[in-house]
Amino acid sequence: MAEQTYYEDVKEGQELPEIKIAPDKQQLVKFAAGSGDFNPLHFDEKFPMLKAMGIPDNITHGRFKYAQVGRAVFAFAGYKGRVKRFGVSYRGMDFINQTITVKGVVTAKRQEGGENIVELDVWTENDEGKKTTPGTAVVALPSRG
Amino acid sequence: MAEVFEITDEVKAQFGVETAPWVYEVTTTSVRMYARGIGSTDPIHYDVDFAKSQGFRSIVAPLGYVGTPAFSPETNDATFGFPRRQGGARLNLPMKGLLDGGTETEYFDYICAGDTLVETSHLADVKVKGNMVFVTNESVFKNQATGQVVAKQRLTSIHLG
Amino acid sequence: MGQVYFEDVNTGDEIPQLRKNCSTQQLVLWAAGSGDFYQIHYDKDFAQSTGLKGLIVHGALKNAFLGQLLHDWAGEAGSLRKFGCAYRGMDEPDQDIICRGVITKKYSEGGEHFIELDVWTEKPDGTKTSPGTALVTLPGRG
Repeated sequence: MAEQTYYEDVKEGQELPEIKIAPDKQQLVKFAAGSGDFNPLHFDEKFPMLKAMGIPDNITHGRFKYAQVGRAVFAFAGYKGRVKRFGVSYRGMDFINQTITVKGVVTAKRQEGGENIVELDVWTENDEGKKTTPGTAVVALPSRG
Repeated sequence: MAEVFEITDEVKAQFGVETAPWVYEVTTTSVRMYARGIGSTDPIHYDVDFAKSQGFRSIVAPLGYVGTPAFSPETNDATFGFPRRQGGARLNLPMKGLLDGGTETEYFDYICAGDTLVETSHLADVKVKGNMVFVTNESVFKNQATGQVVAKQRLTSIHLG
Repeated sequence: MGQVYFEDVNTGDEIPQLRKNCSTQQLVLWAAGSGDFYQIHYDKDFAQSTGLKGLIVHGALKNAFLGQLLHDWAGEAGSLRKFGCAYRGMDEPDQDIICRGVITKKYSEGGEHFIELDVWTEKPDGTKTSPGTALVTLPGRG
């Protein structure tokens, strides 16, 4: 588990540690299990909707990517911080067995309503460097004092 | 050329119409299964004693857990798991293709195993872009015991084909 | 089916069959429910890399189907006391799995009415894939 991030130590432009994951079929089946979404689009290569929608292979659930970005944001906030808001759009498909890289950068920090607020741009990139899942997050961090 | 879907006054009238509430029990097993499903190894999602040692009520649900459906065969969609809630909007879109457009959650508290959440939902937006219809629903999740809002979530789905 | 009673059954009787047919989605649902994510049940490439012809149904799922067969037959007033089967043959998705049972013994003991059965799953060509036995109690009419 990462060390706690403190507000005083955060700088605008700071990058979050990357998370890389290449979900295989087993991972997507585990995600179906955990999330309750058993759409065969994500684990059955014979599913007729793939052809009907012009998709060449099984794709990751959008919410799987939300969760991956969520892991990075949650780790940044730490157990003493708290994620206040976090959202992404699924602009591009990510395919089974292909590497997804989660990235983030601090865009603003300010004190507001008694909290130490940090804003971030967060996203996933595919292995061609295309941003498939752009988003933002707002986190409250503890002070060192 | 006619639009693939017309946002009529009838459709607009359904914006904001709340569904009947839906209850979700946040259990240790489901939190662990969700954390396993996303490939997280953070003990805060698995180990109750560890979570309590860090000041939490119990193991903490990962951020994407909010909205994981509580399934019952009589009332829920067999594939996606979501409840066919009473009330709320009925759009009757003709498209068969369905993709996830986006997920945005506002968190007012940590969600932990042992919490029971009550959710209501309403249609928030409908947009037509080319041959695709973007539908956004907004849900409010309250802790059943305290009545406090713990999360608000906006989900966008893309209907096409 | 209505409740079955001890007096109404005889050794040699076959209990009503249960027919199952698992889609890939069903096997993924079982992985979810059981926590067993072994890929031979939903990843064809993986299954073939281990020497299998294709996907196979989890043994424990067939055990669960036979359990359902017995549970449905024994009814609300009956009980399933003991039950086991061996996963001798493989079953595939998208193919019928027929769950069957035959009564081999009936006796009363200690105020309860016991039924012993042979149970098994069968492929459409009649091959027995999961032979097993069960001990069930049934209510008496008296």
